[in-house]
Amino acid sequence: MSKKWPKALLNLYVWLVFIFLMAPVIVILLSSLTKTEYIVFPPKGITFRWYSELLNHPEFIQSFWLSVSVALGTAILSTLIGTLASIAVVRYEFKGKEAVIQLTGSPLLIPSVVLGVALLQFYSWIGLSTSPLALVIGHIIITIPFVMRLVVASLVGFNRSIEYAAMNLGATPIKAFFHITLPVIRSGVLAGGIFAFITSFDDLTVALFIVSTDVVTLPVRIFTYMQYQYDPIITSVSSVMIVLTVVLMLVIEKVLGVGKLFAVNKK
Amino acid sequence: MSSKIMTQKNVPLTTSDTGKIRKKRRDILLLLLPTLVIFIFFFLIPLLFLFINSFKTFDPILGIGESWTLEHYKKFLSDTFYLNVLWRTIKIGLITTFISILISYPVAYYISHSSGRKRNYLTLLILSPLLISMVIRCYGWVILLSKNGLINDTLLRLGIVDKPLTILYTEFSVILGMIHVLFPYMVLSIVGSLERIDSSIINASRNLGANPFKTFFAITLPLSLPGIFAGSVMVFSLTASSFVTPAILGGPQVKVMSYLTYEQVAVILNWPLGAAIGFILVLISTITIVVYSKLLTASKKGVAIQ
Repeated sequence: MSKKWPKALLNLYVWLVFIFLMAPVIVILLSSLTKTEYIVFPPKGITFRWYSELLNHPEFIQSFWLSVSVALGTAILSTLIGTLASIAVVRYEFKGKEAVIQLTGSPLLIPSVVLGVALLQFYSWIGLSTSPLALVIGHIIITIPFVMRLVVASLVGFNRSIEYAAMNLGATPIKAFFHITLPVIRSGVLAGGIFAFITSFDDLTVALFIVSTDVVTLPVRIFTYMQYQYDPIITSVSSVMIVLTVVLMLVIEKVLGVGKLFAVNKK
Repeated sequence: MSSKIMTQKNVPLTTSDTGKIRKKRRDILLLLLPTLVIFIFFFLIPLLFLFINSFKTFDPILGIGESWTLEHYKKFLSDTFYLNVLWRTIKIGLITTFISILISYPVAYYISHSSGRKRNYLTLLILSPLLISMVIRCYGWVILLSKNGLINDTLLRLGIVDKPLTILYTEFSVILGMIHVLFPYMVLSIVGSLERIDSSIINASRNLGANPFKTFFAITLPLSLPGIFAGSVMVFSLTASSFVTPAILGGPQVKVMSYLTYEQVAVILNWPLGAAIGFILVLISTITIVVYSKLLTASKKGVAIQ
């Protein structure tokens, strides 16, 4: 009996922590249903009015699509070049290899604000105007460290003899890569892509410095809107983002298995 | 073709193999080129450019002036306003780290003592909010903590206070938001170190008559210190450099280094001062990491002696 008590307490405690963890998300979801003109939690009444109201705000929809395309562009380019660089780092010995590893990992050490400011001043110096591409480049920098870690982790355990066997049987190195290597490291590459997509889609700090009046990503749009308004539009647009993230995760779980995704990440 | 690959793998290269070496060099270069180009042109050069700008004078029209100066660094280090911001940033980082350890340890202990399937689900659950936009998560707290939010409502209704408290836009709300955003990293880090503990040591301690509490404080806790340590460095440096949470939950009322950088660059348009503040911020996170790795090598020696 006396041994049961600490266990029950620990159980309760862990539940409380999970409630704390989920609290703000639940608050956003529920308060998007309020009938009032202002945000209130718990919501007063239930209506989907703020979701239909969203259609009267084309700027949110426009920003949403911009964010999706920037995140897709980032995910594709970052995994593509990150995978190539990972192959070089894992499979070859060369001078300056350590420097390359340090360099590609260093965006983790640089606060995003500083990177944002640096890109802003650099872009304006070379006269590159704000464009989705300018955003994608910024996001490639902040996502490469994750992509390379995940891909390197999956490449390290890869037995190259299968690849040599394929090439002995007449496959070109490129064919061997696509038919043998890529399927094996697929989960690492995919996990990298997903992380890159989510990081880019969520990024406020770097984008805040790069956006202009007509190129505004969704997090920046929400951030600037919430500084001046306190209406439930914010909660409805946020809820849409939350639901989409959950759906995306469920799809990935079906395709890949989320457990696998995080298991790779743990290395 | 095939034989060439086999030679490359199995036989050490001689000087006559220059062609192969050249091919290998070409392969490496091609593989690294896209990443290196982007990192050199859009990471190293912009940071270098920013560093140089922090030594330029401020020009109200152009932003960046023509002549060289140390005035921004001097201004920062001599003005109590800026030093207060620096101190606040460090203080918020330390408090966040400390409370995160307290919150995370029991959770990590619970997760590491759960069996396979349950452990996976718990890990997933603790990680899942990390996938939801930080802006949105912080805004959830804004709703809860505001003057007419749930917290103030409850306090008023229970008669604990007679007028709403200012919770939002204070150091408290920033710390709360930071803990919420970052403690999952601490949990993962501690779980990692708890899982590495050899369970036979714990069984041995119990068999030798130590009660669970003694076993915990004499064996489990000391052996999980590396995880606490690694998690602390991560949480501290992420807190010190984060922008979203202090911007939404603190705003101009609770200025931290990152917000100050943003304000100088985007609002006041004093780009050189903003650059200087940004570099002091980089310095803080670099020092944290360097001190950590120094301590880590020292503690590894300690472990080896044991």
